Amino acid sequence: MSEVVIVRNLQKSFGRVKALQDVSLSVREGEVVGFIGPNGAGKSTTIRILLGILRRDGGEARIFGKDVWKDSLDIHRRIAYVPGDVALWGNLTGGEIIDLFMKLHGGGDKAKRDFLIRRFDLEPGKKAKSYSKGNRQKVALISALAVDAELYILDEPTSGLDPLMEAVFQDEVRKLKEAGKSVLLSSHILSEVERLADRVVIIRQGRVVESGTLEELRHLTRTTITLATEGDVRELAAVRGVHDFRATGNQATFSADREHLHHILSEAVKLGIRNIEAVPPALEDLFMRHYGN
Amino acid sequence: MLRHFARWDKLFVQFLKRDWKKILVWILGVGLFSAGFVPAFAEIGKGQGFRGLYETMQNPAMIAIVGPTPVDRAEDYTLGAMYAHEMLLFCGLLAMILSALHVIGHTRREEDLGLMELVRSFQVGRQANSLAVMAETVLINVLLALVTGGILAGYGESSLSAEGSLLFGASIGMSGIMGAAVALVMAQIMPVSSAATGASLGIVGALFLVRAGTDLSNESLSMLNPLGWTYLTYPFAENRWGPLGLAAVFTALAVAAAFALEGRRDLGAGYLPERKGRVAARKTLLSVHGLFLRLNRGVILAWTIAYLAIGASYGSIYGDMQTFVESNDLIRQMFTASGVSIEASFTGIILLVSTSLVAILPVAVVNRLFSEEVRLRLSQLLATQVSRARLYWTNVLLAVLAGLAGTAAAAVGLGATAVAAMGDGASMDFGDFLTAGFNFFPSVLFFAALAALALGWNPRLGKAVYLYLAYSFALNYFDGLADFPEWLSNTAVQSWIPRMPAEPFDGTVFAAVTVISAALMVAGYLGYRRRDMAEGA
Repeated sequence: MSEVVIVRNLQKSFGRVKALQDVSLSVREGEVVGFIGPNGAGKSTTIRILLGILRRDGGEARIFGKDVWKDSLDIHRRIAYVPGDVALWGNLTGGEIIDLFMKLHGGGDKAKRDFLIRRFDLEPGKKAKSYSKGNRQKVALISALAVDAELYILDEPTSGLDPLMEAVFQDEVRKLKEAGKSVLLSSHILSEVERLADRVVIIRQGRVVESGTLEELRHLTRTTITLATEGDVRELAAVRGVHDFRATGNQATFSADREHLHHILSEAVKLGIRNIEAVPPALEDLFMRHYGN
Repeated sequence: MLRHFARWDKLFVQFLKRDWKKILVWILGVGLFSAGFVPAFAEIGKGQGFRGLYETMQNPAMIAIVGPTPVDRAEDYTLGAMYAHEMLLFCGLLAMILSALHVIGHTRREEDLGLMELVRSFQVGRQANSLAVMAETVLINVLLALVTGGILAGYGESSLSAEGSLLFGASIGMSGIMGAAVALVMAQIMPVSSAATGASLGIVGALFLVRAGTDLSNESLSMLNPLGWTYLTYPFAENRWGPLGLAAVFTALAVAAAFALEGRRDLGAGYLPERKGRVAARKTLLSVHGLFLRLNRGVILAWTIAYLAIGASYGSIYGDMQTFVESNDLIRQMFTASGVSIEASFTGIILLVSTSLVAILPVAVVNRLFSEEVRLRLSQLLATQVSRARLYWTNVLLAVLAGLAGTAAAAVGLGATAVAAMGDGASMDFGDFLTAGFNFFPSVLFFAALAALALGWNPRLGKAVYLYLAYSFALNYFDGLADFPEWLSNTAVQSWIPRMPAEPFDGTVFAAVTVISAALMVAGYLGYRRRDMAEGA
């Protein structure tokens, strides 16, 4: 499987501010990569460099094996983009704008366009200035999904969409995946990333802090365990690998490091287990650990 | 009722804090400009200069441009009377336009950009913003009046009395306030801020043309014209304060009307209805040039019509010119001495001045590309098959064509009416007007090229091109009177170009300016293709 997007040691500064430092990521063919991080981390900057809107200061950035700055036109024929902040020309209607983008991309499927307009419940005859934020987003989404591309770069594509439309979007991305397309999805909606992404890249303050499949990332976090024991459950508080211990009576809740799970449970068995619940690590917890401190 | 204006004072202070630099430049710039030419005029007036100038100013052409004077005899034509006659209308217009643009920028435009929504969500009254802006603009114009009057009185010239100086400043300030009031009303009626700007400027332009007509035929009719109240105060000559009173009443009524209109409408809407939209795009829209044409068509159309009108209004004067020259020995000597007819000289001057105005259009088109970029609309285009080269050159080409259209409109408007007015035995034919007009086209290209250069390397300087344009305009406008040294005149591009048909066509200059402009445009492209696109306002 070839790598559609290769980013290696990307550097970018705005004046004295270092926006990106040694950012590396990749998207393989047919893969959906989730690109997440706190506000201002550098997600949009990275995407803009990939699109040739900003010029990188150092490092390598290639799509389909071609340099993103020098060969941008060749690349753009085969990609589709949804920006984070959709700005439209107020006096044009949604339908006109979609047609324009499709034409400028190099052609799209009219039937697909009509289907998507119906599916996303958009009124194409209204002037763009009268659209709500969500509807503006829909215009950009439809423009991107109606053309035929190999790579889809989506920067917070569902911000402003209601839950129904969010579900429609996720379904459409699933169809893309089934068709073997590659997707780079930047999003704050972790459930969306959890459901769609094969791999996740976490960026913070211009650096990549974590990258891997969701499974791999889950290994790095802790399982939440709720235990009720016969003996005094508080003895578990001192066990290695136990964090955030809270107990009421003989029932306790704590987070357990994966590597110490066996040892913790051995100690618990000694106390006599009456009831046990283990919840897989929430992605929120994973991300919060990286977003914070 | 007062609830509607709640917290206006806080907004007022906010505006002052935000705009103080702009206010400083505005007051000093306009003030110095309005009062600064006194020494130059005093120079001209030496000896019998004022008498000769008086005769010139009786020329219907001059009355149409600067307005009339109440002075009856050449002996009474003092420096003060002449200065007011020459400068007042023009400076008043300047103050009016600046105030109008400022008001719309702070009201309608901010509404359109969504900046007002957040402000409105606080405990701010519905009309508080408008009141704050009006108060700010009134304050600015009052200060401007005082500064201008102060500078004039400060010369210590005998004919520049204190009362006259104050009246002069007050007239300019008052016209600024009226401009603000008109703009405030337009901001309520029109659906978009650009329409409000267009309408306000259009009204000012229409009033100007009307007063040109009434000044020539029946002066008392000019007193019905709001624009008339600015210069019919006749500072230094008659010192009439009455017209300012009329202006104040007009302003109060307009502002009240604007408040009434605003109290009833939605934020972001105007009273004029929106037009229906299409579900699918027309073929003509489906390309970069199609899109740009669609975005700019309003501006191009409006300005081209304006140029046509300006040309036509000056062309109508040509009929009177001949009779005027023949009636007076002194004038005949002044203008025909150089072996060139008065029409030919006048044509050169008018086209020189209108070329500066024509250059506004292509600069506006070029700058538009940057405002699109700042509003984040270009990133979506750049992700498609559209290259930076296509964006840049399509826009620049459109600007050049717009400049061509503007030049043509001005020349055609001038020529057609002039030929009609002159009748048989005219010294110039329509073709002469066209060639004279296109002769100035390279200077229009030059300004477009400067804007393109800024777009490529430092786009925020795009607005600065307007400053240079205004400077060139003023330089050319007053060159005839003040007779600047050659090195100073040459800082304005238009001065390099010979004034046809009085002076012969200079192919070298024409080609040189064109080539320089083209080179600047290419330089601009080199910058455009390698710089980062702006990420936000």
